[in-house]
Amino acid sequence: MPRIHFKTADQYVEFAEGEEVNVLRMAIREDIDVPWQCASGNCGTDRLVVEEGAENLDPPRRRERARLGELVDEGYRLACQTYTRGDVTFSWDPDQVGLDDEPGGAGGSRTGWAGTG
Amino acid sequence: MAELMSSSEFRVALEQAFSGTMAKDASFSRAWATGKLHKQHFVHWATNHYHYIGPFGDYLGLMYANTPDHARDAKDFLLQNMYEEELSDDRHTDLLIRFAEACGGTREYVQNRDNAMPFAKGMQGWMYYVSGRENFVVSSAALIVGLESQVPSIYRTQYPTLINKYGFSEWEAEFFDLHITSDEIHGERGYQIVLKYADTPELQQRCLHYVREAADMRFAYTKALYETYVLPDLGPWVEEDEREPALVG
Repeated sequence: MPRIHFKTADQYVEFAEGEEVNVLRMAIREDIDVPWQCASGNCGTDRLVVEEGAENLDPPRRRERARLGELVDEGYRLACQTYTRGDVTFSWDPDQVGLDDEPGGAGGSRTGWAGTG
Repeated sequence: MAELMSSSEFRVALEQAFSGTMAKDASFSRAWATGKLHKQHFVHWATNHYHYIGPFGDYLGLMYANTPDHARDAKDFLLQNMYEEELSDDRHTDLLIRFAEACGGTREYVQNRDNAMPFAKGMQGWMYYVSGRENFVVSSAALIVGLESQVPSIYRTQYPTLINKYGFSEWEAEFFDLHITSDEIHGERGYQIVLKYADTPELQQRCLHYVREAADMRFAYTKALYETYVLPDLGPWVEEDEREPALVG
């Protein structure tokens, strides 16, 4: 079975072969501590670094591209906006907040944290 | 008499309760997903959908009032859901009207209740009834697990067709894109609340009953959309692989 590796929490979630699953939904379902707030692609609190398995993710749509800006090119995705159909590994800053709440910056600016991978 | 199910058993039972009558399998949804509809059909869909989900904030507000203080996480979820429907970004009904306008409709037409089918008004009345009169766990099961959690599976099929086959822009079809993802999370949070607070066999059974009823309601409503607006143009719905092969020569 394919699985999502939530590396920062050191937890795995498996799902059925042939399914496409929403990443944040799986994290919430399994009580994995991914930071999130709005679940609509507005706040950016749930941005994750894709460490492996980017080829198994659906491409970012308008709302996610608009929120993340250049962070998309740096390997970030929003958990609420991302579906996977295969193995993937994510990491994140456990203390991260919404992009508009970052000190001195709004959407699209890098947070200074570069993941663990 | 039914016994109290474990959390995992109850979740499977909830999923099974609506899996046989999912609105994504109704004729209108199938015609949509296979690119058979015309823009005027979408205006009718948006108009009816407006009167079905337009008062969603009202439904959630009634549920909020019926939720006891000790279930603070459930109250907070309902409040957050309400905020996201109305205020966090574009108002969701405005995104729906944006789509209707892209199809040639007008705000005035969509908002005029006289333009909605009796089925849509029945759906609205049922939502008001359940949210206003039932235990908050039961109404959460009905409206959030039974209805809202179905939305991603419907729109994930319909949204790519809107862009690739019907030629809408991502901006025009944003209503669908937004709900694909936001209702995944709302649906999951709804499951959590129902699993946590349906703590007697009676409450669990009542939740299952209303999830089945919600799925039946939405299926019948979606089927009625086809029969009212599409049947006169396209005839009875037949799946592609069930159609008679074209005669040759």
